[in-house]
Amino acid sequence: MFKKLLTSILFLVPFSAHSVDVPITGNVQSRCVITTDTPGVYGNPNAYTLTTAAADGGVQPIVRYDVTLADAYYAQITTPTSFALSPSLSDTVTWTGSTEVSSLSDATNMGSYETNKITFGQTTQYDLTATGSTWFKSTSTATYGGNKAFPGGTYTANIEAVCIAK
Amino acid sequence: MQKKLLLMAVLVFWPSYSYSESIAPYFGTTPNAAAGGTTWDMNTLLPTPPGLDINGVIYNYTIQKDVNDSVDVHVQNKNANDTGYIFRETDEWGVGSLGGTEIRKVVPVIPNIPRTSWGQGSIEVEGPGSIEDPNVVYMYKVDPCYDPQFDPNCPGYEIPIPVIATPEIEIYDATQDEYVNLNDDEKVLLEENEKTVEEELDEDEEEEEKRKREYRLAMLAETNAAQLFAENQRIQQMNEIMQNQVNNTYLNKTINGGAYNETITIVDKTIDDNNIGLRNNFAQQLLHEQMVQEQYN
Repeated sequence: MFKKLLTSILFLVPFSAHSVDVPITGNVQSRCVITTDTPGVYGNPNAYTLTTAAADGGVQPIVRYDVTLADAYYAQITTPTSFALSPSLSDTVTWTGSTEVSSLSDATNMGSYETNKITFGQTTQYDLTATGSTWFKSTSTATYGGNKAFPGGTYTANIEAVCIAK
Repeated sequence: MQKKLLLMAVLVFWPSYSYSESIAPYFGTTPNAAAGGTTWDMNTLLPTPPGLDINGVIYNYTIQKDVNDSVDVHVQNKNANDTGYIFRETDEWGVGSLGGTEIRKVVPVIPNIPRTSWGQGSIEVEGPGSIEDPNVVYMYKVDPCYDPQFDPNCPGYEIPIPVIATPEIEIYDATQDEYVNLNDDEKVLLEENEKTVEEELDEDEEEEEKRKREYRLAMLAETNAAQLFAENQRIQQMNEIMQNQVNNTYLNKTINGGAYNETITIVDKTIDDNNIGLRNNFAQQLLHEQMVQEQYN
C-alpha cells in the first residue's frame, strides 16, 4: 500500500515549469507613397479672400502619389476646411476647393483618372488602377464671413492626402 | 617611436592600386532635345567623348485633345544603322483622358547600344491632338576607359610598343616537305626523274648556245667579212710602223774581238773575318734556341 502511494505521489510532482515567448516580426513596405511636390501659397487678392489661384498671386499645392501595386489603393485628397494656424477669427470662414490630375507617368493606364474621379464635399477620390506616379493639383479658397477683412497675421491650412487600401 | 609606428601603419594600409579621378565613370544629361522643335539630331545633342552609353530618357509634355478622341504620342529615335527605331516609347491617350494633362516619364534604355545606332530623334503625334511644352532629356554614362589606352590606369592598358618591321622568316616544316614523307622507292624515282630533267635542261642550254653561235657566225660572214678584212689590214700596217720605230731605238755598234782582263785587284791579298757579323749571328742563334725552348716550358 505504501509503495503504491509513493508511486502516485511521484507522478503528481510537477517538473519545473518554463515558458518562452517567441517574437515574430515583419516589415510591410508601403506600396503607396505620398510626397509633397509643391507646397501651396495663399494669395490675397482682396481683404476677405485667400486663394491658391495663380492669377491671384497664389501657388497651387501639388501632391504626388507613387504606387508600386496596381489596383490596390484609392487616393483621397481633401482640401482645407479650417486653418491650422491663424490669428483669432471672430467670424465664420467659407471654404471651397477642388483637386485635379496635374501630371501622370502612364497615359495609357492613368489617362482616365480625372474623368473617373469621385467628389464628395471637399474630398476627391481617385482609383489608382495603375503603377506609377500621379501628381494631383488642388485649389483652395477661404472667404471670411460677411466680406470682412481677415485679421493680419500668418494663415496656414493643410490639405489632407491619404492612401486607402481597397 | 610613435611617429615611426604611425608611418608604418599608413604604409601598410595604403592602397596598392586605386582608380584616379580621371578614369572614374561619370553620368550626365543632355539639354532639352525638343527645345528647337519636334525633331533633333543626336550627333549635335550628345557630347563627344567615346564610351558614352545612353541609359535612359526623361520626357514630359502636355497633351491637348478632346476627351472623346484617341491620340498616340511617340517619343522615338530612328535606328541609324538599320530600318525602324532604336528607341520608341508610345503614350496612348485614350477616350476619357483630358486635354491639358501633363505626362512625366522616365524610360530606362537597354545598355550598351552603340552610340552610332542612335539616329534622328522626334516626338510624333498620331491622331487628332497636339502636344505642348515638350521636354526630352537623355541620361548617359561615360566610361573614360572605354578605350583602355586612354589612361595608363585603365584596366587593360598596354604600354605602346613602336612598330618595327619584322623580316619575313620562312620556317622550314619537315612535316610539309614531301620529300621527307616519301618512301625509299619514291625517293629513288624522284631523284631519277630530277636527274633526267636536269640533263634535258643542260642539253637544251647547249643546243641554245650552239644555235646562237651559228647565228652570230652566219651574220658575221654575211655582213662584216669585208670590214674585218680591211681592219686586219690596218692593224697589220700599224704593227709594221710600230716595229720600225722600235728598231730605230737600237744603235748600230761594232764590238771588237780579243780578251778583256780583270782591272780590279786586292792590294793586301787577304779578307778579314767580320767579327761584328759573327756576334750578330751568334746572338740570333741564342735567341732562336731560347724561343724554341720556351714552347716546352
